[in-house]
Amino acid sequence: MKVDISHAHPRRSLALFALGALVGLALAGYGLFTAKGTRSHGVPPEALALVNQRPILRSDFMTQVQTQYSVRFADSTPAQRKRVLSDMIAEELMVQRGLDVDLPSYDPDVRQALVAGVELQLYADVLAQRPSDAELRSYYDAHRTKYVRDGVMQLRDLVVPAPGSSAPQAVQALRGGRPLDAVMMQYGLTDSRRLLDSGHVDLGDVFDFAARTRLDPAVFAAASPLMSGEISAPIQAADGTHIVVMVKRILPVQREFAEVSNEVWRDISEDAKHRVAAANLHYLRSKADIQLADDAIRLDETK
Amino acid sequence: MSRDNDQMGSRSVRGLRMRAAAIGIVAVAVIGVGLYALHEHRQRSALLRADPDRLLADPSLTGFADSRGRSAYARHCASCHGADLAGIVARGSPNLKDSVWEYGFGELSDIENTILYGIRSGHPKSHNIADMPAFGRIGQLNDAEIKDVVEYVYSLSHRDADATAARRGYALFMDKGSCYDCHGADASGNIDYGAPDLTGKGWLYGGSRAVLYDSVYNGRHGLCPAWIGKLSYADIRALAVFIYDRSHRPEASR
Repeated sequence: MKVDISHAHPRRSLALFALGALVGLALAGYGLFTAKGTRSHGVPPEALALVNQRPILRSDFMTQVQTQYSVRFADSTPAQRKRVLSDMIAEELMVQRGLDVDLPSYDPDVRQALVAGVELQLYADVLAQRPSDAELRSYYDAHRTKYVRDGVMQLRDLVVPAPGSSAPQAVQALRGGRPLDAVMMQYGLTDSRRLLDSGHVDLGDVFDFAARTRLDPAVFAAASPLMSGEISAPIQAADGTHIVVMVKRILPVQREFAEVSNEVWRDISEDAKHRVAAANLHYLRSKADIQLADDAIRLDETK
Repeated sequence: MSRDNDQMGSRSVRGLRMRAAAIGIVAVAVIGVGLYALHEHRQRSALLRADPDRLLADPSLTGFADSRGRSAYARHCASCHGADLAGIVARGSPNLKDSVWEYGFGELSDIENTILYGIRSGHPKSHNIADMPAFGRIGQLNDAEIKDVVEYVYSLSHRDADATAARRGYALFMDKGSCYDCHGADASGNIDYGAPDLTGKGWLYGGSRAVLYDSVYNGRHGLCPAWIGKLSYADIRALAVFIYDRSHRPEASR
């Protein structure tokens, strides 16, 4: 019998269409009633186990066996392997539990560890770079003031009673060599008590960095260039007129490049780390949906 | 009229036959590709699931791994380690076909682990315990002391070394330089830290006095990228098998 396949057969088409639909429905039904979440079918070959769909890699397992028992993997016993796999599954379960209960959102230690881990990955490239001697030298030249050995000063910071009209006379008397106590008494000068140390006026040596933080900025600026035995001109500061008597002064010393090249290297790395961190944060913020309360908008430093 | 109809009928039958033949060819091709993909999938799975020892004893798996590994090596590793796996001294990339290993014992699992996670790659599982410090730059050793240490290391593999300087260098190696801490008191290295053997079995950057001086003065910080996520697990294992095979062959056939 000859079959003419060039002619359309509506019934055959309908039957094929229905068959296709039935197969599709059967597959969907099977998937729907047998799926466990997005469970993949079987353990992928690179993994030894799937713990809630998270793989435990064979390679990690082998490394763990070797590390834990200090044996070649081939020489490890079934009991050792069993123990390691059990421990790895337990660890994975605990990590997943930690995520389930949202540990990173409230445990400060976990948050800190996460931040540190992300930073470490970010900085890996920076830490791997080793600047050349020319780069080190160039950075040193551009930041010479960072590489100064702090000076030391021993001073008296005196305040002239308001109105400070007697300041020039007091300065003149001090420069003339009159004893400090006598001049203080005659002109009513008092110690600013800015260099208080344990409740007493510190009459000992003070490093420049400490003096900078304690003295009024104008007073520190006037005191820095004074040499031992010199008396400053009257200094107009925020809290009145000051006179500085520099008892002893050791000026800061510029440290040579050879002496600080390691610090320069560290500083270059730190600068690079800050740049990377800032760029990363900028990127993350640009991707994030951050909503601020009305009264917080003025607190956002990026606005 | 009936002749015309006959001609049209035979043309139509020929067309249908041609169509059926084309469909047949496509079907055979699809089935062939499917079977090939299935075979590949099975081979990849077997390669990944096999215990290293069993894998190395299975010629069909090693053959499969070798062809994949060779191709992956040429694409991803040869630029640093050289097309012949001999390493590139100028870059400090190690020879992969000798029996000297900086990390691990050169077992298949050691090699695979290094390919997966790299060395100082930034991956948290990479080998990254220690760096060779820049003893000169950080001022731990001065110029004369570095020269003495270099002379000591040089003396471990050369007879023409200055014995007096080498003796001073040994003292520095064991004390002020703390070199023994990573390289071992006998300078044979430490595979946990990736500290190389200094007795002349192989040099990452070269073993001349000038290169040794550079290493001690400026330090070293060798890197190998982590390939996890960039290559498939099967390719990584195949690469490990390929490298293992080349490094464990008799010397003449490497």
